[in-house]
Amino acid sequence: MNPYLAVAALILMVSMMLMLPLIPAFWELRRKSDARPLNVVQQNAGEIRHFASSFRDYIKGLQPILQRCVADGISASGALPDGEEYVVLGRADEPLMLALQQRDATHPVMMAAGVDLVVPPSGTFSRDIYAGAQFIGGDKNSYRAILGETNVHLGASSRVTRWVHAVGDFTADAGCRLYGRISSDSLIRLRADCGFLRLNAPRIEIGNVAINGNANLPDSSSSKSAPVERFFHDGDFEVRAGEVISGNMVIRGNLHIRSGARIRGSVKSTQDMVLDDGVSVEGSLISARKLRIGPNCAVHGPVVAERELAIGSGTRCGTLSLPTTVSAPRIEVEEAVVVFGTLWAREDGEVVATP
Amino acid sequence: MIYVLYIIVFVICVYTGRHYWFTLNRLFGFQRHPYIDIDTADWPPVTVLVAAHNEEKVVANILEALMTVKYPADKMIVIPVNDRSTDRTREIIDKFVEGFPGRIQPFHRVGGKGGKAAALKDAMRLVSTEVILIFDADYIPGAGLIKQLVAPFFDLEVGGVMGRVVPLNAGTNLLTRLLDLERSGGYQVDQQARMNLRLVPQHGGTVAGVRLSALREIGGWNENSLTEDTDLTYRLLLNGWKTVYQNRSECYEEVPEVWPVRIRQIMRWAKGHNQAMMTYGLHLLLGKNRATLRERIDGTLLLGVYAMAPVTLVGWALALAVFYQGIAPLHGVIALLSLTAYAALGNLAAFFEIAAAARLDGTRKRICLLPFLILGFAVSIFSVSRAAASQISDLVTGAEFHWDKTERFRKVL
Repeated sequence: MNPYLAVAALILMVSMMLMLPLIPAFWELRRKSDARPLNVVQQNAGEIRHFASSFRDYIKGLQPILQRCVADGISASGALPDGEEYVVLGRADEPLMLALQQRDATHPVMMAAGVDLVVPPSGTFSRDIYAGAQFIGGDKNSYRAILGETNVHLGASSRVTRWVHAVGDFTADAGCRLYGRISSDSLIRLRADCGFLRLNAPRIEIGNVAINGNANLPDSSSSKSAPVERFFHDGDFEVRAGEVISGNMVIRGNLHIRSGARIRGSVKSTQDMVLDDGVSVEGSLISARKLRIGPNCAVHGPVVAERELAIGSGTRCGTLSLPTTVSAPRIEVEEAVVVFGTLWAREDGEVVATP
Repeated sequence: MIYVLYIIVFVICVYTGRHYWFTLNRLFGFQRHPYIDIDTADWPPVTVLVAAHNEEKVVANILEALMTVKYPADKMIVIPVNDRSTDRTREIIDKFVEGFPGRIQPFHRVGGKGGKAAALKDAMRLVSTEVILIFDADYIPGAGLIKQLVAPFFDLEVGGVMGRVVPLNAGTNLLTRLLDLERSGGYQVDQQARMNLRLVPQHGGTVAGVRLSALREIGGWNENSLTEDTDLTYRLLLNGWKTVYQNRSECYEEVPEVWPVRIRQIMRWAKGHNQAMMTYGLHLLLGKNRATLRERIDGTLLLGVYAMAPVTLVGWALALAVFYQGIAPLHGVIALLSLTAYAALGNLAAFFEIAAAARLDGTRKRICLLPFLILGFAVSIFSVSRAAASQISDLVTGAEFHWDKTERFRKVL
């Protein structure tokens, strides 16, 4: 073999081998199959009612049928343009309702009801439900999503996998598991042993709540533009019982606020924080680890715990006119707690019995 | 010579380990997003500063976006900081002021020192709110972004907030696609890992916020700084204020579409970063301040990232010199093993980080472009080294820094 040819062949072969890993790169550069900007800037990020609003828009086309069914007391079924099958109920004692009566049945059809909808227990509703009037669910049901134009009431041990929005009150009986987003324009009420992730309503009541308001908090805005003055402490710190502190506290350590103390500002602890009985905080409450809010406390601003949060009975977070957010990966809430605004457990939220 | 090489190799290994630590943390560690769930609150008044110097191509987009964000309108004032623009920027801003009475308060700066920090410093006389957000004019905030960036300020330790930057013109050409990957690695992995590990997330000076009282405490904007964001990060840190990173607070930006603009941009960043390193490095690491030990170490390493480019070049030169002098460091075999291990792991650290970022972003095909990053890496290493060299020569000759505005590529509206 000609030595020049051999060298040229060798160079060619080595070049080809070197280029081999670059073929996908050149291919992608030319085809631009994944060249669009990342779809991460979401206009509706964080909007808890987004799914409910989208669903309301989605079923707009069903409204004339729904109105006709209600007026004539009949039912109808069919499919939406995208192929989604639906059942429209204009009367509660529809023959179609008979299909729902079967226990342990699965109902893979979107339902829209113009009248009060009372669904039997132990069913699985794997498509979204629209309730134009009240929705009352039986025990041990499993729902994908519900949009209720008035009140929504779930029976004991029911399960929601995606979302519920109630224009009126939302009530979940004992033992319900509420995954996804639960929102109401007026009130959310959770009974004992319920599990939850994200709740939002002007008023969220956990367990049986005595309607006694938030006597120990002034209902005034904390969102002033005054400069922040901080009391800085390195190491563990304790606020004595009944002590009143006017100002903000940053504690680089554990913080223990004893009974009846009042903080007229915000509090941050870089480790665990414990609030005893009857403590009130007019600003935010933020713990970089675990936070235990004792019974009968009142917190005005956002409450954030980076690891765990436990809220004792009788505690109030936020006010009706100044709602707030209570958030942590894991939250345990005793009964008789009221949160005005958002209660958000990123991983797991539980209603626990008051000891 | 060999000992200098040892030191350089050690430092490079430290940075390599850091890359791996961050990437593995992002893939398998506990992820911190403590403030992102705050969606209901008594929101504080906020001022949004929009830095604009000859931004006729982009300024309308950001003002339009800001007028539609979900934040109480009576609690948000937008101040476009029109810094000595000679194009139609002023005209466009004034049109918006008319269209949205009471919501936009323009600041038309006609003279004074050049640079963003100087312009922001002058604009501060119009600011009275405790929370200030800052955007460059080429950014387009989403509807929920303002609340997300304000939320961390409920934490009294927080002095600065930084959101995530996402290139909007990612698909334009090879450069924008490489920058898209780099941004992904820098934010999705680097910044979030620093947030997770309670290290030093960096304030980026845009899609960002600062607390007025913290800013006043540290002496306001430093108009002598070439990168006001890095300068701000370190002055906040030294004074006991945290900068937090919100990975889910994303905002589109425009990245450079031609190499000369990119080179000028990275050279400015390198000079500013090196300036901050000289100013704060020693004080942060050894001085009396409020930073924790891990913040001191990470902060120092972060300050040194741009210095690593010339250090690496020196390392290469020394390695070649050692080779041609016939020196066999560490008895040859150990050196060979070390070299092989480094070639297998060390060189891939940054690429691993970017690939992990693409994975976290849920993208698939753009990872294919990873080999081309060597090109971006080569351009960066020489540009940054050139910046460092010119910085040293400027120091000797006393030459003043010239502010290079990053050119925009969007079409004029």
